[in-house]
Amino acid sequence: MIGLDLGSTRAKMVRVLGGEVVLRREVPSPRWRELLDRVGPEEPVATTGYFRRQVPGARAITELTAARWGVGALVPGAEVIVDVGGQDTKVQDLRTNRFVLNDKCSAGTGAFLELVASYFGVGVDELGRLHAEAAEPADINSTCAVFAMSEMVSQLVGGRTRADVVAGMHRAFARRIAELVPPTGAVVLIGGGARNSGLRSELARILAREVVVPEHPEHVNALGAVEYAASAGADE
Amino acid sequence: MSTVGITAMVPPELVYGCGHVPVDLNNAVPTSGAVPRGKLCAWTATWRDALLSGTAHVDRLVVVAGGDCHNALADGQRVALSGIPTHFFFYPFDGDVAYLEGQLRAFEAFLGGMRDPSAVGAVARIKDLALELDAARARGDLPGSVAFNHMIALCDMRGDLAAFERSVREALSRRREVGAAARVALVGVPPIYPDFHEVAEGFGLQLVFDELPWEFARLGGRDIGSMARSYSDYTFARQLPHRLALLERELRDRRVDGVIHYTQYACHHMLEDEVLRSRLDLPMLTVQGDLPRRCPEQEKLRLEAFAELLAGGRAR
Repeated sequence: MIGLDLGSTRAKMVRVLGGEVVLRREVPSPRWRELLDRVGPEEPVATTGYFRRQVPGARAITELTAARWGVGALVPGAEVIVDVGGQDTKVQDLRTNRFVLNDKCSAGTGAFLELVASYFGVGVDELGRLHAEAAEPADINSTCAVFAMSEMVSQLVGGRTRADVVAGMHRAFARRIAELVPPTGAVVLIGGGARNSGLRSELARILAREVVVPEHPEHVNALGAVEYAASAGADE
Repeated sequence: MSTVGITAMVPPELVYGCGHVPVDLNNAVPTSGAVPRGKLCAWTATWRDALLSGTAHVDRLVVVAGGDCHNALADGQRVALSGIPTHFFFYPFDGDVAYLEGQLRAFEAFLGGMRDPSAVGAVARIKDLALELDAARARGDLPGSVAFNHMIALCDMRGDLAAFERSVREALSRRREVGAAARVALVGVPPIYPDFHEVAEGFGLQLVFDELPWEFARLGGRDIGSMARSYSDYTFARQLPHRLALLERELRDRRVDGVIHYTQYACHHMLEDEVLRSRLDLPMLTVQGDLPRRCPEQEKLRLEAFAELLAGGRAR
């Protein structure tokens, strides 16, 4: 079965055979159709993400449900899921079946990380490496993406290193996400943002607890779509 | 007959009984498409701008100053400063019936006194019919959207008692079984999105309770004394434990599977979200609206995910 997570910025695909992921692919979202180039008409497809209803005949579920199934398959005992996606951050408490999404703000989203990476002239995957070189994170107070950028510029003008400023940005970013996270519970971090080691370490520091990141965190929802569809198919 | 703009619920039986037509200024907000300037809450800022610009016209205004919010109080005063004759109405926080009776008498004096007692009876009759609508939707015999669209209008009865009564009766005659995946209660202020109920129903969520419109239907009276006794129970004006007790009873009686708490950007009711979450032992979705628009995609995602969750779409 094929699982597609057709997110706002990246489209991810997994092929699952015999309970194992045997293929992973990823393209920018506007090119998501390329992911189906080598998929035969007989192979079932399950989708999630913003573009989930674009695939005819596929079983489509929201990213929140996909995350529950994906994490359920990969991280037994998970209690809280934090999914840092391209356009939003979603936090789910699996103990209470309650979820929150960041509202009306881009400061806690992958889009903000892309903006920062672009400003520094690096790839978004390099932000974690820069963070590791920081002597002391610069102080970034604003929870607004635009104002946070202004603060970053001011810190650079004031002589702080790129690494310190990036680390400070990660700290502000993690602080904003942490506001959505319940005070207790085993946390699993997924989504493209989970690949950022600087964000991971800052979130764990602010929450004062371990933050588990599964291998391939950006593919958890695609896997979850498959898990859900397989289970629903078995129930029918 | 002159028009009386209202910023929140005040007894429509009193306004009609005094020979005036109430105009619930909130009811034009969701479809206004407005982008009010200098706003906190888009509900109050939209009717404020409509009155100040002349887009909407009322002969006089009553501002609910106690038992509503201070955004309404501030925006109501800005309208009052423009010269529209304005009365400030206060619900008691402690449910004091004698206090509310005094408020109702002052309001009656502002309206010029009772002139048409038959209108009071007509309003009561329509509210009884509205309670039948509410019972039908709670049983699953009527879409929540149909009940809501009528019950939200109970504060002004759309300005025409006879026409509104016909509309309610017509809705009652269209009762039919509603097939839905989950029974959901909507608590908090009404959504500023005009299509919210229809969107929720599209995802299989049957809205069997609308908190504020239910208040509009259940409160009433035939004279100042009975109005004071009834409206002193208005939960939005009272302390939280009073409101929570009634909510718990209604959610239990209506056998709801989940709760949607609608909040408005910059509204103090957002601060009550944690209390509701801790007291109401049900899956709860919190939605926060801002400008009056059709339901945004981000909110549709939340509603769909909530429907999936209530349908059992979680890992075993």
